[in-house]
Amino acid sequence: MKNKIWLLVSFVLILLIVAPFFGIIPIDLQGILKANPNSFIFWHLRIPRTILGFTAGAILALSGLICQNLFKNSLATPDLLGISSGAAAGAVVALKFNLNLSFLGVRGVYICSYFGALSAVLFVFFIARAVKNSSLYTYLMTGVAINFFYSSVIVFFQYIFDYSDTFSLLRWLMGGISVAGYGEFIFLLVLLILFLVLVFVFKKEFLLVSAGEEFAQSRGLNVANFRIRSFIALSFFVGGVVSVCGPIGFIALVVPHLSRSWGESHYNATVAFTFLLGGGLLVLADFLARTLIPPVDIPVGIVTSLLGAPFFLLLLIVQLKKNN
Amino acid sequence: MIQVIDLSHFAGNRPILQGLDFSVEKGDFVLIFGQNGAGKSTLLRILSGLIPAKKGGVLLNGKSIAHYSKKELATLLSFLPQSDEFDLPILVRDILLAGRYPYQSVFKKLSARDHELFAEGVEYFGLGDLLERNMQTLSGGEKKKVLLASAFIQDVPLILLDEPVNFLDPGSTFHFIKMLDSLHRKGKTILLVSHEIQYFFPYANKILALKGGRNCYFGDKTFSDELFQEIYQVSFKQTFVGKREIIFVNEK
Repeated sequence: MKNKIWLLVSFVLILLIVAPFFGIIPIDLQGILKANPNSFIFWHLRIPRTILGFTAGAILALSGLICQNLFKNSLATPDLLGISSGAAAGAVVALKFNLNLSFLGVRGVYICSYFGALSAVLFVFFIARAVKNSSLYTYLMTGVAINFFYSSVIVFFQYIFDYSDTFSLLRWLMGGISVAGYGEFIFLLVLLILFLVLVFVFKKEFLLVSAGEEFAQSRGLNVANFRIRSFIALSFFVGGVVSVCGPIGFIALVVPHLSRSWGESHYNATVAFTFLLGGGLLVLADFLARTLIPPVDIPVGIVTSLLGAPFFLLLLIVQLKKNN
Repeated sequence: MIQVIDLSHFAGNRPILQGLDFSVEKGDFVLIFGQNGAGKSTLLRILSGLIPAKKGGVLLNGKSIAHYSKKELATLLSFLPQSDEFDLPILVRDILLAGRYPYQSVFKKLSARDHELFAEGVEYFGLGDLLERNMQTLSGGEKKKVLLASAFIQDVPLILLDEPVNFLDPGSTFHFIKMLDSLHRKGKTILLVSHEIQYFFPYANKILALKGGRNCYFGDKTFSDELFQEIYQVSFKQTFVGKREIIFVNEK
């Protein structure tokens, strides 16, 4: 297990160093030190894009891991709660109405999609409160309804948009991590650090809920309270990623799955694998996205889903075969 | 230790438990039995503080169970759920350490007392070889043993168990009951719901028979064929092999 971690660490480091040199315009080592367009591309586009990819991937993967613990189900992702579609709907509204507001330098689209994500979780929370039933069933079913609602909001605006607007919207909905400068990266880095701190501070609680509701309650954990607080925190982290990168599928589903088996059920090791693998995979996917069919820069969300779906099926088949 | 006062519970309008009154003393081993749907599991959940009673009350050490915080309650009692299915992988070590959760605060590391009880539990239940194993890979008997050990490490005076030997083979059942009996001898109060009355009847000192959510009999254990007839509609017989008490279904 230790060997695997170090192997993964070195793989990720190499990836982070090598990836920025490749893209539609290849850049060589000498190019980055002189003041020329290539060095601008390298320092202001490629590097931020690569490290943003890593932080976003790590946050998504960790959110999947925590979601699975909270739902006690290895197929759960934050998407179940409508976080992604809420964020997307928020972004769509911002694009449609050209909301050019900004707060502390954060663009309007980000802010709107952020509140979209938060609204989805709060909605689930209030429904659970109203019916005085905070079972997983309530969350799942309410999440399904919210997903449908926000999806139709998105399609509705897409339908009434101008064609030119529709393209930029579609581009956003397919997920992409092309950024300029370091603003978005710093925003997500703060979220990631906060997330990691919480994941370790509340280790005991996350382990308890994953063991079962009655078991956890009988050990003194107020499961309903803990779960809803975690969901709200999750919406902050995932909403942050979705607002910057758009919805990126499959990282939250596939990575924790692999990490659990590599981590041999050890919590700390599983978190470490999730962090490294989540970040590494998104950087790799983005690297493929901009080098596979130049000069096209494929939206990274398409790549992760295209690769993630078959990979996940493969995992599932292997697991089902093992169980039989 | 536990006083149940005019306790009733409903699912919608359907009564589950009706007007229960009884009290359990420290050191009792109470066997709760009755047909499927008699309200046994619901009663156990209410006594564990997992669900609030709709009517009436439960006093634990003289204080209403509703007035305890979850953590306080977890220093007084431990509940072993019927299901031992684990949907996600989790280490035996973590399940055992979960027993110390009610005594810990957010940032504090495990205390000397935590380590001491953990080590004692591992030793007492012979779990040394299983610590790094994933719960999902254990046999039914091993899982139940770990869960009981976790309750032991939790260091509570009262242990409530719901069908603990379901689906266990006779050997594992025997070892589980031996462990439980030794905890009882150490002074723990045990409340146990089970259909396996043949196994548990000899170890209990009190019995509670439920029928349709009502108290059919509560009190010191005495063998009464009439009671079993009323609950199960079959005749039971008691016999002794040496000093060992045996009860069994006496039908042709």
